[in-house]
Amino acid sequence: MNAQVEPAQAAAASPAGLMVDVRGVRKVYHRDAQEITVLDGMDLQVPAGEFVALMGPSGSGKTTLLNLIAGIDRPTSGQVVVAGTDVARLSESELARWRSRHVGFIFQFYNLIPVLRAVENVELPLLLTSLSKRERRERALTALKIVGLTDRSGHYPRQLSGGQEQRVAIARAIVGDPSVLVADEPTGDLDAKSAEDILNLMESLNRDFHKTIVMVTHDPRAASRAHVQHHLDKGVLRRD
Amino acid sequence: MKFAPFVLKHLRRNWIRTLSTVIAMSVCIFLFCTLQTVLASINDMLASTSANRLISRNAVSLVFSLPLSYQSRISAIPGVKRVATTAWFGGSLPAKKEGKADEGADTTTDWSKFFPNMAVEAEPYFAMYPEFEIPPDQYRAFLGDLKGAVIGRKLASKYNWKIGDHFFLESFIPPYRKKDGPFEFTVQAIFDTDPVKHPNTDSNLMLFHFKYLYEATGRTLAAGTYNIEIADASQAGAVSKAIDAAFENSDAQTHTETEQAFTASFISMAGNLAFLLNSIGLAVSFTILLVTANTMSMAVRERRTEIAVLKTLGFSSLQVMGLIVTEAVLLGALGGGLGIGGSQGLMWFLTSTPGIKDMLAGIGLSELHLKPLIGALGFSVSLALGLGAGFVPALNAYRARITDMLRTV
Repeated sequence: MNAQVEPAQAAAASPAGLMVDVRGVRKVYHRDAQEITVLDGMDLQVPAGEFVALMGPSGSGKTTLLNLIAGIDRPTSGQVVVAGTDVARLSESELARWRSRHVGFIFQFYNLIPVLRAVENVELPLLLTSLSKRERRERALTALKIVGLTDRSGHYPRQLSGGQEQRVAIARAIVGDPSVLVADEPTGDLDAKSAEDILNLMESLNRDFHKTIVMVTHDPRAASRAHVQHHLDKGVLRRD
Repeated sequence: MKFAPFVLKHLRRNWIRTLSTVIAMSVCIFLFCTLQTVLASINDMLASTSANRLISRNAVSLVFSLPLSYQSRISAIPGVKRVATTAWFGGSLPAKKEGKADEGADTTTDWSKFFPNMAVEAEPYFAMYPEFEIPPDQYRAFLGDLKGAVIGRKLASKYNWKIGDHFFLESFIPPYRKKDGPFEFTVQAIFDTDPVKHPNTDSNLMLFHFKYLYEATGRTLAAGTYNIEIADASQAGAVSKAIDAAFENSDAQTHTETEQAFTASFISMAGNLAFLLNSIGLAVSFTILLVTANTMSMAVRERRTEIAVLKTLGFSSLQVMGLIVTEAVLLGALGGGLGIGGSQGLMWFLTSTPGIKDMLAGIGLSELHLKPLIGALGFSVSLALGLGAGFVPALNAYRARITDMLRTV
């Protein structure tokens, strides 16, 4: 990444060089009186700068694991250390602040704010920083340049193709220079060509900017771009 | 402040819904401000009355008069200090210039030139109304001229009348008539009022000799009311009862009450009017609260994913709640501003449109304008409505978990 948006992994990773360290995590959901165990004693270690794919059938718990790593859900028990912080120990407001600094989330359906232009969508996470308006705009444009959408900065999401929307979403995810990028089926809603472009972009972010990426996918072709592939089935993780 | 564009863009998202909510809110605040202004004006009028003055009228209705012989009998009742006979004249300036007024039937009435005017028995009347401050020489001149008139400073300014000016009035309600045309008057005195001691006394008023009206109408005139000054304000109830008891078996029974009560009944039972107007305001406000709350709930419900995204990006629950509340309060502020502006516009229209403004002056509401306090109160109500409407949806957004909101997409 350029001088304005420098990589932060080195400082954020644990002494052992792990960006994500999941140990003995159990996640139980309650539906009425029923108890559903989604993850049961899960362990996962992701070194800084790694590109990891999580695969598995529906209901296997991969999105739940991703949410735990992203700090948008909490484990029932166990430890989830990301960028050197045990996220389960943080309060709600601390967790929100932590997410804004360390996590870039890429959704399957992009989830851009429809009333905001591309550049404003990318700028959104920076509203939580102390940057000036001009600095925020500069950084957002830099992020859009990285994803190759400088010429679409003034467009609304409805004026963009699916692939372009996802690239804007990726720009939004990287604009705050997070420690880790988590992507939930980032190509799940795209045609083959657009999916290819997105995977190339993610590969580039990992290779050129040393971003640690944890990606959930059903698609073996997408998973093949990752350095490491993990398969989840009924809450049990298997590394290929 | 940096979140303001974000909030504004959301308001523009569904502009028809936003506009209709703002209009609904503005109607509410418009009604609130207008009704409160009318009430405040009525209260001001009531505040200008004195506790040691009573008014005695015909018990059947104000439309019926009382015999002139009652004056001496009322004066004899213990506690009564002085009594003044009065009669509502209800005169208006003829449409034609005063020089041609003697053409009688050719003149027409221009209701836009109506103002309150009354025939009074001068000496006792002005003795019991110290708020009308008349220079002694002018007062003496007035007493010496049967056709003399005492006018308020506001009325003098309105028609640019000076001491010695002549004018004509035609009476319509009730229709007093003179054989030789309209009643002629000469401005002999101009009264002022002390805005500090008597802030609510209206000087848009004309008073003239009861005797002039009595003689001009063939000595058939009876008293419209008796204005009575009592020695002790705390005895108002007892003296009123004593007066009414004195005429209990007469053809024309009296109904005596304090000047304030009389004024209140004159302007359509102000007490009940206040209750009615406040009830209307409350009902409208509550309805608008429900409408706005529903709008905000819908707006928040359809933005569940966006709320989840904001939280995922690192916005705290409190910040998300703040954005929604700000949006709702902004709706309230826009509606409030529009409603206050509309109310101010209506007041301006009513008090500057010929005919309407004079009609209002005739019932003592010449000072009908939106007071800053009422405007501020109306704006506060609009903000409170916005806050109330946005609070529950904002609280739901505050409590909602990211994973739950993303799952319901």
